[in-house]
Amino acid sequence: MRPSLLLSSLATIGGLMLTGIGASAAADTTSSEDPTARDYREYLLTVTRPNQLQVIDMTSHTLLRSCDIPGPFGSGIMVPAADGKTAYVITNIWEDIVGIDIRDCEITFHAAQSSGNETVKSFQSVAVSQDGQELYTVQNPVRLMSDHYEVLEPRLAVFEIADGIGAQPVRTFPVDRRITKIAATGTGEVILGGGDLQAIDPETGDIRVVEPLQNWQRGEEWMTPDAFAMHTQGSQANEYIMPYSTARFTDGEQDMATAEWWWGISRVNLETAESERMEIAPLTEVIMNFVTDPTDDNILYGVFNSVSKIDIATKTIVKEQPLDHTYYTVNVSRDGNTVYAGGTSSDISVHDAETLEKIASIQLPGDMSTSDMRVAVIHDAAP
Amino acid sequence: MKHLKSFNKKAVQLQKAVSPEEVEDVVAMQTIVGCTATADPGWEIDAFGGLSSLCQPMESDLYGCADACWWPAQVPDTMSTYPDWGNGVDKANEDWRKIDGIFEDEQ
Repeated sequence: MRPSLLLSSLATIGGLMLTGIGASAAADTTSSEDPTARDYREYLLTVTRPNQLQVIDMTSHTLLRSCDIPGPFGSGIMVPAADGKTAYVITNIWEDIVGIDIRDCEITFHAAQSSGNETVKSFQSVAVSQDGQELYTVQNPVRLMSDHYEVLEPRLAVFEIADGIGAQPVRTFPVDRRITKIAATGTGEVILGGGDLQAIDPETGDIRVVEPLQNWQRGEEWMTPDAFAMHTQGSQANEYIMPYSTARFTDGEQDMATAEWWWGISRVNLETAESERMEIAPLTEVIMNFVTDPTDDNILYGVFNSVSKIDIATKTIVKEQPLDHTYYTVNVSRDGNTVYAGGTSSDISVHDAETLEKIASIQLPGDMSTSDMRVAVIHDAAP
Repeated sequence: MKHLKSFNKKAVQLQKAVSPEEVEDVVAMQTIVGCTATADPGWEIDAFGGLSSLCQPMESDLYGCADACWWPAQVPDTMSTYPDWGNGVDKANEDWRKIDGIFEDEQ
């Protein structure tokens, strides 16, 4: 699997300087050089085959527990609640969503979305309101008739988490097709990653454009971007990142052979719902996704066949470290000192954020495939 | 498509299928089968015309293509049609030899 890049005719790579406004990063107010002295604990969460939630201590880089997830493997896409104690995972071939207490593996929530002859899939989309009361997903329903399929309109479904096992949507609203990653903001909206970056009010269904992508108006100088929201996991910086690739044409002919090719991001501050869009680095290689250093919003990390460090101000990849194999997804510790490469196979590659040197490898019992690799932060009690 | 001319009926149909007014039908099919409609070159060559931006090794990418129905022509889609394809093989890098092909006449 690779980002759906419009790169088949890519010939040359150039340079361009643009300015971003910078998303506010989550402050590490209790940072200490001694991890055991902090008043919080960080747990790396991912899903592996056959279908288990893996809970990893980010101080010792050890696997604490493996929680069985009901049903066959889904996409491994998940989101922890803001208190870090429950992870909500898409399972059962992308049709169900379950909530699992990461401290004892108890199943606390289960929404089976398909029923009768209606199959419902959630493609990457699961989010929890910041007060932990509601769960959101974009349902893609198809009615299976005896001689044909009837494709129904996609919809944002809102669940009450307190409904627990057997939860049913309490509200639904129509949304665009092609929405993948979503995230809840502190302002009560849900960010929808699709052709454009949108936000929906889950009370009324009102939708606004946060950052236009397929409908951006940058003139003929810029190619319509190709965006890719398979993995956005910026809980450490309280952000949502939609990566995109684009080209800046250097003549009036829109000649891709002479165009400058760029990586860019649309980044949303999930506390305020403020957003920015900017090019971040020349497109010289495939990078699957990005995450912001929670201590410096000018620094991004990305992974694919290498782990990369990007300086937004200078629009350059300032450091790069080849990886043992392809990894789909990236995350970072809250103190900004450690970078994790995950997804694809059965090991997480751990790197020093300053040097990008590999410092550890976390072995897991199965492949992560498309799974997220999220960080749960628990403040009051260790699991 | 403006530089291509259709020579037979099938080509004409293909050309019509990518006309703007047909886009919604294409999107709908994507939803039906749970698959992407991407036409990436796949595992043969990367977007830069080389090999370095391909997934390495292929086994690391195997379930990422199957679970997301990314390349249903190259690997079975486990999202809808062949959910049991990878059963018993939790680590593709180690146990890829145990993964069998799909033979339609045995279904």
